[in-house]
Amino acid sequence: MKKISIHKGRGKRTEAFKSWLIMLPGLVLMTFFVWEPLLESVRMSLYKTENVELVEFIGLKNFISVIGKTNFTQALINTFSYTFWSLIIGFLLPIVLAMLIGETVRGKGFFRTAAYLPNMLPGLAVIILWSAFFSGGESGVLNILLSKIGIPKQTYLTEANLVIPIIITVATWKGAGATALIYMAAMASVNTELYEAAAIDGANVWQRVIHILLPSIKKLAGTLLILQIISVFQIMYEPMVLTKGGPDNASLSLMQLMWQYAFGGSMDYGKASAVAVIVTAILLVMTAIYSYFNRKESDWD
Amino acid sequence: MKKYSLILAILMVLSFVLSACGGAGQTADSKTPSEPTKAPEISEELGNELSSFSSDVIDPDLTCTITLGNWPPDTAAASELALFEGYKATMEKQYPNVTLVPDYYSYSLSNYVPMAKGGTAPNIFQPPFTDPQLLISQNLVGDVTDALAEIGVLEKFSPSYVEMLADKNGRIYGLPRDGYVLGMHINIELFREAGLIDEEGLPIYPKTLQELAEYGQIIREKTGKAGLVFPASETYGGWLFTNIAWNFGCVGESALEYQDETGRWVCNFTSPECVAAMEYMRDLRWKYNILNADATTTDWAGAHSELGTGEAAMNFAADDSVDQPTSNKGLPIEDFALIPFPAGPEGRYALAGGTCYMFSPDITPDQARALMAYLKILGKLPFLDDDIVAGMRADYAAKKDRGAPVLPAISAWNDEEYNATKRAIIDEYCNVDMRLYNDFFDSVSEGTITLKAEEPVFAQQLYRELTAVIQRVITREGADINKALKEAQESFQEYLDDEINS
Amino acid sequence: MAKKRLQHTGVIRDYDMHSLPVRIGYAFIYVLCFIMVIFAVFPLIWVILAGFKDLKEFMSSTKIMPNAFNFGLFLKTWSQLDLAKNYLNSLISVAGSVVCALIFNGLLGYGLSILKPRGYKLVKRLVMLSLLVPATISIVPLFMNIQRLGMGNSFLPLWLSYGANAMYVVLFIQFFESLPQSMIEASRIDGCTPIQTFFHIVLPLSKPICAVVAIFAINAAWSDFLLPYLVLRGGPLQTVMVRLFVFSTEQTVNADTMMRSVVFSMIPPIILFILFQKQLTENSVSVGIKG
Repeated sequence: MKKISIHKGRGKRTEAFKSWLIMLPGLVLMTFFVWEPLLESVRMSLYKTENVELVEFIGLKNFISVIGKTNFTQALINTFSYTFWSLIIGFLLPIVLAMLIGETVRGKGFFRTAAYLPNMLPGLAVIILWSAFFSGGESGVLNILLSKIGIPKQTYLTEANLVIPIIITVATWKGAGATALIYMAAMASVNTELYEAAAIDGANVWQRVIHILLPSIKKLAGTLLILQIISVFQIMYEPMVLTKGGPDNASLSLMQLMWQYAFGGSMDYGKASAVAVIVTAILLVMTAIYSYFNRKESDWD
Repeated sequence: MKKYSLILAILMVLSFVLSACGGAGQTADSKTPSEPTKAPEISEELGNELSSFSSDVIDPDLTCTITLGNWPPDTAAASELALFEGYKATMEKQYPNVTLVPDYYSYSLSNYVPMAKGGTAPNIFQPPFTDPQLLISQNLVGDVTDALAEIGVLEKFSPSYVEMLADKNGRIYGLPRDGYVLGMHINIELFREAGLIDEEGLPIYPKTLQELAEYGQIIREKTGKAGLVFPASETYGGWLFTNIAWNFGCVGESALEYQDETGRWVCNFTSPECVAAMEYMRDLRWKYNILNADATTTDWAGAHSELGTGEAAMNFAADDSVDQPTSNKGLPIEDFALIPFPAGPEGRYALAGGTCYMFSPDITPDQARALMAYLKILGKLPFLDDDIVAGMRADYAAKKDRGAPVLPAISAWNDEEYNATKRAIIDEYCNVDMRLYNDFFDSVSEGTITLKAEEPVFAQQLYRELTAVIQRVITREGADINKALKEAQESFQEYLDDEINS
Repeated sequence: MAKKRLQHTGVIRDYDMHSLPVRIGYAFIYVLCFIMVIFAVFPLIWVILAGFKDLKEFMSSTKIMPNAFNFGLFLKTWSQLDLAKNYLNSLISVAGSVVCALIFNGLLGYGLSILKPRGYKLVKRLVMLSLLVPATISIVPLFMNIQRLGMGNSFLPLWLSYGANAMYVVLFIQFFESLPQSMIEASRIDGCTPIQTFFHIVLPLSKPICAVVAIFAINAAWSDFLLPYLVLRGGPLQTVMVRLFVFSTEQTVNADTMMRSVVFSMIPPIILFILFQKQLTENSVSVGIKG
């Protein structure tokens, strides 16, 4: 030990150098694949672009033009609508599933496996699969099922009021089970003696859920909530494949709008980047609000 | 510990999120409604016809490499790939020092541009006729004027194509591959079931848009199937609607877009004619109720599926996609007819367009020569030698083989001998009852229907705006048509102002 | 192995089962769980059944069950689309991606959690921040970079892109931080270089996290289609998901063939799931809990 401490100063410097050397490949890749393209897209949002070349610095003109269009307002409202519906459909469901599966004794592994299964399937395959479920013809799967209980055929993906809840349902189908497993893990970490003690004090099952189980996942639920909001805010290929944003832009999301600007024929990468920057900004604000409240809560604790 | 588990949990969720959002589709891509046409196919027993390709060396000195973006995809039938291998082999014999590199490429404006800029675009590719002018103006395509002059076909261009494929100075950047005219596909089985059939067994088809609505209603009532499949998604809906709007009088002073005296591009969706056309769309859904169930999510291929499998009786589609409902989706060839686009109250137009060959911006004069030689072997230039006649025969024999209708094509070349020979060969292989097609071709050749090219500027964006209006009109009963059209007009005008009026 | 008596481990305890309402409620829980299983599994079973229908039947039939179980249709789709080649491409793409995901993210995580050279905090914060940014946002400039370096039509950029995954880096960081620091310190004192420490001490202890990252990466690389589509663009290296994406956008296959392609695209993830379901549904979650 003494020997080493003699050369500590110099050793530290070479060690730091070596450490950076070890991280270098990873850093180069992060720069190439994540950081540089991100900065580039911020830069592009401030330029008039011709194809992929930056022609002229135009300040915030792209932003003004993008925000001024009706489809932006529509996409913004839709994106919040997606978020709203995902909270209605997608937030509580995993908690309920976790509680249900957590209580089972026999077959718990089976239920857990079944719940996780949809999450393993490729997202694109899932969307294509579900498009056949919501087909409005007589051969649509949902219509076949409804006809068994005597309900005439309906259309789904052409109904402006239904498309967003439907897309959220599909996304929830894929993700809810996996999220439930996370809740289950948190619930399983509750000291079971608490339940025993509460039972001895005369608390019934329901009271134990309210006073012990739910508080135990409160913080996790808060975190998952913000993550869910962030993820739903980026919804894009689901509406692209299921409804193509229609009918009449009723399911157009912000990210999809970005895609349209870039690849929808006009190749306006500047405006596409402007939308991307707006989405990123909204996400950052949401995250900031969350961490502010989160910190406050921690202080309070 | 707890903090750790929390973070891990978050990351787990994130991983789901990321894996869910990591990819994205290119559905909203600028795929033009211009009908994607399939390359010719050939069956293997036709190999002997192919072997008649001459193998004499034509130019041993021409030395270069060309990448072929018109190569068929690996999903193509083996026979189709064999055909292209045959072309390649012939070319390699005739020009031993030209290296051909197959490079299947599915063109779209958005994927082409970065490739052209990055120097990775294939030397030859196939855009629809909506794009050449944009590509030329951006210097994203190569000039082949001199190579064309060398082989003497420059003057045989039909003038409308010169206009589409040349710049202001008359330099040529592309060649027509094939053209199409919009009409209507008919499922005769459903017409028969609905009693819309004459004593000769031919379908009694709608001559006007009004009749289309009425016949559609009869078909729905008698068969329970959709009278009309209307692909009202993305740009397709607006694309078809422009033709309907023309027939309602949206031409000349009431055109959907035009240049005013100051040179400014103006769009006009709120003319009484356009409103009437949109009211027609409304009536198809809410008055006659003849549209397919999921019109707003139906795309081009979906529409052919509906017609081909007997879920819909009529489909607005062109003469170059007759193989779609038949050999591709399984409708027996005798139950299929192609009719002219129905006339409207104010006119009888049919949208005409097509696909062309264009070339990467970096081609050398030698590459241009080699590419013209390659297109000659493909039979895409107006030359008539044994090879080309053999190639044509092979092409039509293959079509006949797989049960696709062999039909007269609308020629892109002003060369009588060439066109007559081609027609004779087609007649030889014709596998359909021409009575089911004659009205369509006669209306074009006799001029009883007026051919009209797509709207001149930013057609894709115009289609997108109009599709949104159609979607609103056919999904919301009692939607305010004037308001919807006015909104679309403002939005598209803003787009025009941004893009070309500034 | 002695058979253990099953005990209630949740909110409901063994003695609660003496009460009738609780028992009814408990039965109800099972009913709901089975409904969940049906919801989770039915679409999957349905798509397989749909694969047995030809285009006409798929478009017109009002039955869930196909008219006949004609496996020939699957074989036809498989050979017609030459999916074997795409499977092989996917396999190569996935294999390289997993290797890159483990090595590059692992080393970066090692540096940021154990070596912590001066200035590491900034990098760590950048990595954390990247978690929040959707990958699609910067896809255009990224694609341009790849093209400029002439890496189009090659697996290389796809592999390397998995070496730049902020989430995996953070997973590694979290795990490495939970390792007993004394062992690492000891190896350092023994004169091991940082890289030796990594391979001799850290890596052997990190099997659980490597397994988690590997499974995530396999699944993600298999399902990925956006960047692969732009990079592999219709060439000979297309993966299964790229093909599926091309089908859904370029309308080159019929709806029934599409459903069979969907089935084929799901088979490897399902096999992965069957093989590793324990890791996926238990360990990957508990990796964190135990740490």
